[in-house]
Amino acid sequence: MTVTFQLNGEDCRFHGDPMTPLVDILRQERFLTGTKAVCREGFCGACTVHVDDEAVPSCLKPIALVQGCAVTTIEGLSSGNHPLHPLQAAFEAADAVQCGMCFPGMVMSLSAFVRDNPHASRPEIKAAMVGNICRCTGYERIVDTVADCLDQARKAGQLVGGVHV
Amino acid sequence: MASSVERSFTAASTLDEAMAARRQGAAVLAGGTWMMRDPRRGIDLPEAVVALHRIPALSKVEIEPDHVVIGAAVTHAVLGRALYGAAGFEGVVAAAEGAANPGIRRVATVGGNLCALDFAAADLVPALLVCEATVELETVEGPKLLGISDFLKDRHTLLTDGIVTRIHLRRDLVASAHIRLPLRKAGDYPVAIVSLAMDKDKRCRIAVGSVEPVARRWTALEQAMRAGPASALDPERAAELALEHNDFQGRDGKEAEGWYRRQVLPPLVKRGVAALLKTGGLA
Repeated sequence: MTVTFQLNGEDCRFHGDPMTPLVDILRQERFLTGTKAVCREGFCGACTVHVDDEAVPSCLKPIALVQGCAVTTIEGLSSGNHPLHPLQAAFEAADAVQCGMCFPGMVMSLSAFVRDNPHASRPEIKAAMVGNICRCTGYERIVDTVADCLDQARKAGQLVGGVHV
Repeated sequence: MASSVERSFTAASTLDEAMAARRQGAAVLAGGTWMMRDPRRGIDLPEAVVALHRIPALSKVEIEPDHVVIGAAVTHAVLGRALYGAAGFEGVVAAAEGAANPGIRRVATVGGNLCALDFAAADLVPALLVCEATVELETVEGPKLLGISDFLKDRHTLLTDGIVTRIHLRRDLVASAHIRLPLRKAGDYPVAIVSLAMDKDKRCRIAVGSVEPVARRWTALEQAMRAGPASALDPERAAELALEHNDFQGRDGKEAEGWYRRQVLPPLVKRGVAALLKTGGLA
């Protein structure tokens, strides 16, 4: 079966088993290894990508279901020639990254969350991270950074990921 | 990557197309969150698959003054948003918003929750049981409507050639609640689930999920609670009755042993009745 979709803004074509998990195509065919295949059960969140702007686990997404969709991975959130996504910049500034295994998934989940929830409270931020497991247990610094990022954006009337807050 | 597999995949755009694929042996794929883990359970993925996500009628939630119709391909996230604030559906909303994790809820569907035969911990099933939902299926003989308890009892047979298409709910509830006990707050399958609802006659309906292989109504407790006056609905008393009328055979599983699933039910009933009274404005 041939499946065509947009991958980080570019046309992409896959030919093969329609039930191949999206994460395997990203990593093994496209070498986009920022997306991590960890639990392969949708529990850990390390494989989170955006499909048509929604943060979903790519380990449980058969490639046939992304026919005609736009897929964004951590590599596509901001290219090397452009500024980082505001949330990525905030994480870097706060030194919130630890081992890095969970972090691409964290960023993909939370970048969609801050876009859709500019007035999120701290408990709402935590609830949004329920599906992203960090073995380094570095949650608090991540929550702090998201809360600060939203707070600063609100004060400045700026954008976080495309939405005025 | 199993890219050499010759697998048939149909993205049906009509129900007729889906049924034609089904007649030829295709397995139904909804969000994929259960089927895609088949290889982890030592089960091969099906050789032929039919996906329902392109059938518009199956992705809608229709809210009418006296009833609600939920398409089988509606995701948990969409369902939670659609019914948020609708009186009587607090339990369904809590089930849709509390199941699994946010990423799964954006993908996993109502139909998938009802049709995953080996998934005992499906949150929506007990929530829909207390709504006394009607399940609509497309079968080789045409459309069929079944009460959810009958559907759950016969679903192995019904799903050999049928497709769940819609869920129908009457808007006859005053309040409902959904209480789940995972071992951790985040992500786990719940050890036990208690869904409760109160109808317009102030009668309490209770269903339990995850304790036995298939969710069911707790009729013994419902009858015991109805023996007393509705005005006397009390969390402590409900927990006492739950202890007295606990007729569940707990299933052993990775998250918990059967005896534990059974034993946590009275406190969950207590929490549930308290939530129900608060939601119904009776607390």
